[in-house]
Amino acid sequence: MLSKLDRRFFLTALCVFVLFFLGCTQQSTDTGGGAVERNEIKIGIVAPLTGGMSTTGNDMWQAATLAADEINAQGGVNVNGVMMQIKLVKGDVQSDPQEGVKAVTKLITEDNVDILVGGFSSGTTYADSVVASENKVPFIITGASSSVITRRTDIDTSYFFHHCPTTDDYAEATLLFVDAVVKPLIYQRFNLPSNRKILIGIAYEDSKFGEGVYSGAQNAIERNNLNMEIVAAEKFKTGETAYQTVLTVLKDAKPDIIYPGAVLNEQSPLVLQGRRDVGMNSLFLSIECNDDPDYYTGVGKWGDYSIQESRFGPYAVPDRPVYKAAMKFKDDFKARFGSFPSMMGASTYEGVYIAAQAIENAGTLDKAAVRDELDALEMPEFIEAMEGGVISFSDDYRESKFLFYMEQLRWNESLGETRPVIVWPAHLKEADFVLPDWYEPGQ
Amino acid sequence: MDLGSLVQITIWGLLAGCIYILLAIGLNLIFGVMKVVNFAHGELLMLSMYFTFFIHEFFDLNPYLVIPISVFLMAFVGILIERLGFRPIMGTGKLNEIFLSLGLIYLLQNAVALIWGTGSRTIRSPFEFDSISLGSRQIPLDYLIIIGITMVLLVLLQVFLKKTTLGRAMRATSQNREAAMLMGINVERMDMISFGLGSALAAAAGALWCISGINFNPYIGSAPAIKAFAVIIIGGLGSIQGAILAGLLLGLAENPLLVLLNALWTETANTLTFLNLPADISFLSWQNSVSFLILIIVLILRPQGLFGERGE
Repeated sequence: MLSKLDRRFFLTALCVFVLFFLGCTQQSTDTGGGAVERNEIKIGIVAPLTGGMSTTGNDMWQAATLAADEINAQGGVNVNGVMMQIKLVKGDVQSDPQEGVKAVTKLITEDNVDILVGGFSSGTTYADSVVASENKVPFIITGASSSVITRRTDIDTSYFFHHCPTTDDYAEATLLFVDAVVKPLIYQRFNLPSNRKILIGIAYEDSKFGEGVYSGAQNAIERNNLNMEIVAAEKFKTGETAYQTVLTVLKDAKPDIIYPGAVLNEQSPLVLQGRRDVGMNSLFLSIECNDDPDYYTGVGKWGDYSIQESRFGPYAVPDRPVYKAAMKFKDDFKARFGSFPSMMGASTYEGVYIAAQAIENAGTLDKAAVRDELDALEMPEFIEAMEGGVISFSDDYRESKFLFYMEQLRWNESLGETRPVIVWPAHLKEADFVLPDWYEPGQ
Repeated sequence: MDLGSLVQITIWGLLAGCIYILLAIGLNLIFGVMKVVNFAHGELLMLSMYFTFFIHEFFDLNPYLVIPISVFLMAFVGILIERLGFRPIMGTGKLNEIFLSLGLIYLLQNAVALIWGTGSRTIRSPFEFDSISLGSRQIPLDYLIIIGITMVLLVLLQVFLKKTTLGRAMRATSQNREAAMLMGINVERMDMISFGLGSALAAAAGALWCISGINFNPYIGSAPAIKAFAVIIIGGLGSIQGAILAGLLLGLAENPLLVLLNALWTETANTLTFLNLPADISFLSWQNSVSFLILIIVLILRPQGLFGERGE
């Protein structure tokens, strides 16, 4: 029989073991590591693979895996006559800037990656991209949308390539849609004078991303000389669960439209609490990262008639030249991983192809040469529609330019959820935008 | 801001306060009896959300009816944690207890992430679209039910602690463990019951909170747990009444007080223009800071907390 001391030791050891085992299960960092082999290209995938944002992070990793496997199945990447296989290495940023710095440092100094793809969360990427800059490693950023990432001046950003719309880009697309489609319907129904400004209330998270959404809206209004005014802008803590007080203050400012700078786990309670608790009969706008099955489940009927900006979504796929490739990607992803790929997954999938193309064009793994080829890249659009039909990076801040579409959520009784319907631009729309009966403009 | 708005915001404050109170009282019970600070208390709240969600989904049960099941299950989980985790290390040093409870945070978070994934979940209440009119304002029925259930639970807890032999034994253990042992109370049994009861209260908090319509994931427990720690320090370690008062205080301070402060600041800046005060400052993002501001003020003025006794 075990003595009490032995039992105590056993139980403690068991706890330590279980803790260690379960802790490690979610913390794997590397698919290989070790010495660099000459017949492989090492791509570091920078994503939150554990922690609060790990759903998106794992989605990015899975999408990258799909791309790498497709390229490898076709023989790999032709680097100056030598066919090289792609090897992906995980860099788990754990949704935390400090962990991001550690992960990117490890990818560069220990795993000796040739190029980085990914980077989710503007705050985390703002911190970890510094390491890439210092080591002059090309970084194709596919999941951080704040424009400060590539436009900052405190570090050398010449190795950063932003293959993800910036907050400026999607704020502009969203507000141009409001101006062209939503505004006329509101003014017509309520007999408002045409010179009256559209009043916007913004609730944004206290992060680089949230601040980017706010400044993106300001910039879009100014740049396009839109007859709009931001009548209230309230900040909330990232990951907050209660938005009622923020929304009450917004409601008191009497806006026509609410534009939240919120991600998936924030947007649906924000809309629910705004519509149900605060009684806001306003139209809620939503940023592209929320075009996700979890959002449609989470927001329920409260999301009915709300407006979703998108470039790649799970349900509505616009009839564009990339339609077939986008559908194939979605089907392949679902068949392999059992779920829909997210928007960040789509751009990360493309990011791996972009990296492969740039290395092939360079004919070497030399980082400066690869950087130069990324700068000069002219690659046909792939699964997401791009301006001019090509993936290329702008001369100023090395940002690729996506084509957006706007969706309106409509309640589907049989599914018990809303589903998006494309309402803009005109050549892609599946239905007209509808101003709901319950809508009330601000004052 | 009209009176209706203020009442509405006060109800939201009460709702937040209810969650803090249930969580803090559970922590207080465990600390009071065992003198153990369970840093993983927020993870018990999180675990109960998942239990509530999956029982509700699997059996298609009204989520309110799932609350007693989740509470019962979490009481059992709490007892297991006490028996397998804390009891073997009790008396071996406070550091061991602290590291065990810190380890439990990662263990429970990773276990839930591994089993159920990290995606957001939501529970749809059957009363989601029902509300009570308050002039021009609407109060969701769910909020009133949650406040009502919390009040019932607090009354039941008071009755249990003050009118039953077991409750008295727990209080006696909390007041003086050695004396309680000398009086024939099985203090190890009291430890087990207090951990089970504390976990059950965390379960009630988690179940009620997720029914209110929030999204949750495996990492949601940390923020409310920190607030619960603030509540028990403000209220006084080991004091149930203190936890109730402090929970309400925080809930109300984070909601109506901040809104009033915001309105007052804007009004002052717009009226007293010669002071050149920036009118666009917003205090709403101070929701978390305000808890700790109150904590600091209480600690300076009354270090033992509102209802605590000197020396505790």
